[in-house]
Amino acid sequence: MSQPASTHPVLDPLLAPPFPQAALAVLRNPQLRKNVAHAIDVIQSKRAKLVAEKTDWQELRSSASAIRAHALENLDYYLEQFESRCTAAGGTVHWATDAAEARQIILDLLRQENATEVIKIKTMTSAEIQLNPFLEAAGISAYETDLAEIILQLGDEEPSHIVVPALHINRNQVREIFARRMGLENLSDDPKTLTNAARTWLRSKFLTIPTAISGANFLIAETGSVAIVESEGNGRMCLTLPRALITLAGIEKVIPRFQDLEVMLQILARSATGERMNPYTSLWTGVTPGDGPQRFHVVLLDNGRSSILARPRERQTLKCIRCAACMNACPVYRQTGGHAYGSVYPGPIGAILTPQLMQMHHAQSLPYASSLCGACYEVCPVKINIPEVLLDLRAQVTDQERHDLGRFFDPMYIGLRIANLLFARAWLFHTAQFFGRIGLRIFTRKDGWIHSLPGIGAKWTQTRDLRGLPDETFHGWWASRKKEAK
Amino acid sequence: MTAPLESREKILNRIRAATQTVAKAPGELADAYSALPRTYIRHGRLTPEARTNLMIERLREYDAEVVECSLDELPATITAQLAASGKHNFVAPPGSPSEWMVASAWQITGLEWNLDQWDSGHGLKTAEIEQSEGVVTAASCGIADSGTIVLHHSAIEGRRVLTLLPDWHLCILKASQVVETLPEYFSLCEHPPALVTWISGPSATADIEMTRIKGVHGPRFLHVILIRDNV
Repeated sequence: MSQPASTHPVLDPLLAPPFPQAALAVLRNPQLRKNVAHAIDVIQSKRAKLVAEKTDWQELRSSASAIRAHALENLDYYLEQFESRCTAAGGTVHWATDAAEARQIILDLLRQENATEVIKIKTMTSAEIQLNPFLEAAGISAYETDLAEIILQLGDEEPSHIVVPALHINRNQVREIFARRMGLENLSDDPKTLTNAARTWLRSKFLTIPTAISGANFLIAETGSVAIVESEGNGRMCLTLPRALITLAGIEKVIPRFQDLEVMLQILARSATGERMNPYTSLWTGVTPGDGPQRFHVVLLDNGRSSILARPRERQTLKCIRCAACMNACPVYRQTGGHAYGSVYPGPIGAILTPQLMQMHHAQSLPYASSLCGACYEVCPVKINIPEVLLDLRAQVTDQERHDLGRFFDPMYIGLRIANLLFARAWLFHTAQFFGRIGLRIFTRKDGWIHSLPGIGAKWTQTRDLRGLPDETFHGWWASRKKEAK
Repeated sequence: MTAPLESREKILNRIRAATQTVAKAPGELADAYSALPRTYIRHGRLTPEARTNLMIERLREYDAEVVECSLDELPATITAQLAASGKHNFVAPPGSPSEWMVASAWQITGLEWNLDQWDSGHGLKTAEIEQSEGVVTAASCGIADSGTIVLHHSAIEGRRVLTLLPDWHLCILKASQVVETLPEYFSLCEHPPALVTWISGPSATADIEMTRIKGVHGPRFLHVILIRDNV
């Protein structure tokens, strides 16, 4: 059954509604929730099986975490090393402080290539800088080549996961999108048929469009190489057939040496898709005469990353290798899917990454989009202590609110100030307790529970019941016990 | 918009300011790197025979076809694989040993070989590779633990496009090239190669309802001949 979401999700943190509000749209869409839960269950069970067979999993995690932390602590050194080695091998390295600068650099490079079309390998970083709409406005058509990204692009949908971005769309919905946009009326909803339709649709684009844009999974400082991990072969097509290639990579993607891949490649596929190894991993170094693109550019993107680096506890956020294990394990993500996070980075990692990339000026509701259960930390292959960062970010949000004049109108603030007053004085506390008990008794049902409260109290009882107050307070009981003893 | 050089300095300065308390001095950096914990399993413990068997098992789990033969049987095995494929138009990298091709060309009528001599400037056109039905190459290494075939794109493995466009890839791997673990492969790479493709099964996707579908853009059929030269 095809059922489009009632509102188009907004993944720009500047414009997205707060998490609880955005989550409602999903929670009211049973089809969407079913699609998300199904996909998550499949990945989770595959991952669990393959991680269990790896007897040195914890040792691999420790190494991966240490390598990533070391690279970040010495990021200037490794980035400069990457730049010099990549340049020596025939590549050109560009630096972009923010999204606007990165977009402009890429557009200028495409103009140099006289490109009117460009093929793309899935890159969340390009979604982060909202590259496609920008290129479109500049008259350049960008074609996504990853199957999930094609589904999203043709269906005018938004990504809801960083590894399988279309996991919220089921086969019937894919069939409908492909039939409409590829003009294939009699298409069946068999995934194999749908996959074949995508293969045919893209083949001529691969063979004729001479410019490509990619992301990067790893930048290798020692050699100036770039590595891309994929499944379908669309990546290899984009890395091999065009004359010019532009790679967009966050500055945090660098690892010190080629050999470090022996750790990264063992943890990444297992964590991401529950495979021992993904079908294709490509590594290239600058330009190779006679093999692949002869013009190669890397755009290194900061866009808020260096400010994350400055905070010792939050720095670990940048260790992320984008495997998505945290969102697959997250009980909140499982219910809401990705769109509720109002960012291209959803789930627990998105909840800490997005507000920080926004330098805490936007997406402040995200650090609260968690039950702090710790499942994300447990599965993270590079040991990012997400709950720790979430708590720290919550503290930062609270600090911001302390200086916000609007707080005087916030019921929570007013409530807590009043509570502060009452708890500090015994006689006030007893008086409030006395009247409170009388007031609450009206709403307490026969079963001893309060099922609904009026006004602002409804915020609590909307989603949970409140136990009615017992007949006697502890203080009262204690006092009467003493009397009896006498 | 800032000038390019300015952005570079700006970003590097921000990074330096952010990491000044933890960054190592250039002289201590190598030591700090070597001190990183690496207690994961480096070396496998399987016998050569068990290692080869594991490689085969893992390849088959990815839906790759595997046949075994001895070194002497190789030309005949290649011929049998080509004949069974029902295809006639094959490409091969320039360094392919002639005995890999002679027997099949002789025995299968209508069989055509095209050498992609890109290393001497006589490479096939992309359209020619696209129109070929299959490709036969060697490999640099096999990793049994994950069933991975490694191409370093030498003259016997072909440039990258050669093993990408044809729908059918026959890869010839010696058992003596197979290691058990990924770290064993990396320790063999004394000098990091400039180009690598790690292949683990035919191209695949699970983007629609997490159903694994074989064959999207890369070769949909991966066949491996494993030469038992280690027993």
